[in-house]
Amino acid sequence: MRIRSYFHVGLWCALFAVFLVKSIPIVGPALMENRIGPVEANRSIDAYLRALTGIDRGSEKLPDTFQRLSKEGPLVIFVQDENAQSEFLGMMIGYVSWPREVRMIKVAGPTVEKELAEIKPDSVAGLVFCSVNPPEWLGKRVRLGSSIILVPVTEASP
Amino acid sequence: MIVLGLFAALFTIFVTGLGVTMSIFARTGRFNLIESVCLGWLLGVGIVSLLLWVGGMFCSGFVLQAIVTVAGLALGILGWRAKQKADAQFHFPRPTNVTEWTLASIVLIEIAVLFFVSFKHTLGWDGLLNWELKARYAFLNGGAIPAVYYSSAGRAFSHPEYPLGIPFTELWLYLWMGEPHQFWVKIIFPLFYAACAPLLALLVSRLSGKRWVGLLTAALLPFVPSISASPGGIVVGYVDVPLSVFYLAALGYLLLWFKTNNAHFIIVFAACSALLPWIKSEGIILWAVLVLLGLGLSFSKRRVAQFLISIGPGLLVILGWRIYLKLVHLWPHSDFARPSFSLLRENAGRIHDIIGILFAELSETVHWSIFWLLAAVAVVYLIGSRKLEKLVLAAAVVLPVILYALIYLCSTWPSYSAHMTSSVPRLLLHVMPAGWLAIGLALTQPKDQNRHL
Repeated sequence: MRIRSYFHVGLWCALFAVFLVKSIPIVGPALMENRIGPVEANRSIDAYLRALTGIDRGSEKLPDTFQRLSKEGPLVIFVQDENAQSEFLGMMIGYVSWPREVRMIKVAGPTVEKELAEIKPDSVAGLVFCSVNPPEWLGKRVRLGSSIILVPVTEASP
Repeated sequence: MIVLGLFAALFTIFVTGLGVTMSIFARTGRFNLIESVCLGWLLGVGIVSLLLWVGGMFCSGFVLQAIVTVAGLALGILGWRAKQKADAQFHFPRPTNVTEWTLASIVLIEIAVLFFVSFKHTLGWDGLLNWELKARYAFLNGGAIPAVYYSSAGRAFSHPEYPLGIPFTELWLYLWMGEPHQFWVKIIFPLFYAACAPLLALLVSRLSGKRWVGLLTAALLPFVPSISASPGGIVVGYVDVPLSVFYLAALGYLLLWFKTNNAHFIIVFAACSALLPWIKSEGIILWAVLVLLGLGLSFSKRRVAQFLISIGPGLLVILGWRIYLKLVHLWPHSDFARPSFSLLRENAGRIHDIIGILFAELSETVHWSIFWLLAAVAVVYLIGSRKLEKLVLAAAVVLPVILYALIYLCSTWPSYSAHMTSSVPRLLLHVMPAGWLAIGLALTQPKDQNRHL
């Protein structure tokens, strides 16, 4: 019985030692990452938009821009299929454009011609391209940071 | 003002939960202060978020906030009166020797560190787009999520079908702070950790009879990298750690009920298990596992009726949420198809890959160190004990892992392996504290074996 007890203690001591030896080099540096703050209401949205598009205070600027579009009609957001960054950006646009209705279109091919052909211009307020290049013939473009291009289809009357 | 509002929100949550906890334990004559505070947070979160959800169907804005506050305070007062009537006393379980003092101090320091670290990070992808988004939209709409959100195809990415336990806790903070504040809202996640570690210590201590073992497991808990260093941990505001705490609490109190026959424990089980499906959809799987295992325990104890009553609140939450989603015309979007025999037969070929990905994840030291090896050894110990409650504990660790792997047979993603690789680490997190409970009991095994084998 004593041998069994020694084995039990030895086994668990060894397991815990290996556990800690493996964990500490992973957990330690992770705890040291980043600094506290800034203590801002839209801290997470702003941090992501700044990192992905270079826009400062994107949580305020983007909704302001979208408000200038017609009150009617959804915002159509084009994102690259299988591109996590583009899709995340599209979702962020969907997030900040609330309560406007949004439509997310994943673009599989190199161009968006096919997808654009299916959109009736008078039924949408604007087109947003997230890390997707709009076709050259598409009219007025508004660049919102490095990866977002807005094409207003209908603008709010003054 | 914002910080004052934050404290008021947290205070009301604690008062609500503490009131319910005091009502449950009043007749025992003694409250463990640490247990009461931990359960106070868990039950407070559940009750306040449920009240906001139900209340939001009938009113909004200040009226909603006032009604929930009054209801929460009323529960607190009722609990206090029950305590006074029963002449029950709070007691603080002080460490009794150097080992216990050292381990308890380590646990406290770890909690403080995780509070600090949580504020250093932004909300993660899911934390922001699946959970906080709902809180913000509800806040902007006076406290209730507009029905149009659920039926919006464009926002299906944010999983409108996910339950509102955590988003409405965030909403509660927003209502009191007066604005959606993504920095301060993160406080709720380390609070879940602060409830988890002492509760783990307490449950292991009670079930094993050794307090130092409980404190040791609690002290080792944050060294699992997934808690603090990987996607899904508490620093990024995901709901997986909160769900794991409810699972730990429900499982622990179920085992305590079996061990002691104390009806108060089955009430805590009823409350904590009912909140599993309210925290995350996968909570239904955990709830079902506990119901299955609890039925086994109750048959052996001949207390099936008592147990069946205890699963009532969980059923109510599951059905209530399902009916609500039907009423708001949820946009049909799901990462999983409805299971059927034909689907399972069609996708049976996936099994080999699924097992491979599962084992690759379980042995991923960057996420888990060797935690799952410890858990596997503990499960072997528990099975070797041949005692029903320990077999149940082993099953409570193993079954969810198997079921979580099998759900990818129903994955609708074009690449089910990509789906599994991206989400299974977070699902495994749900079982992790229960795994520590198993480890804690395995540590104290040999003496018991001598006695019973």
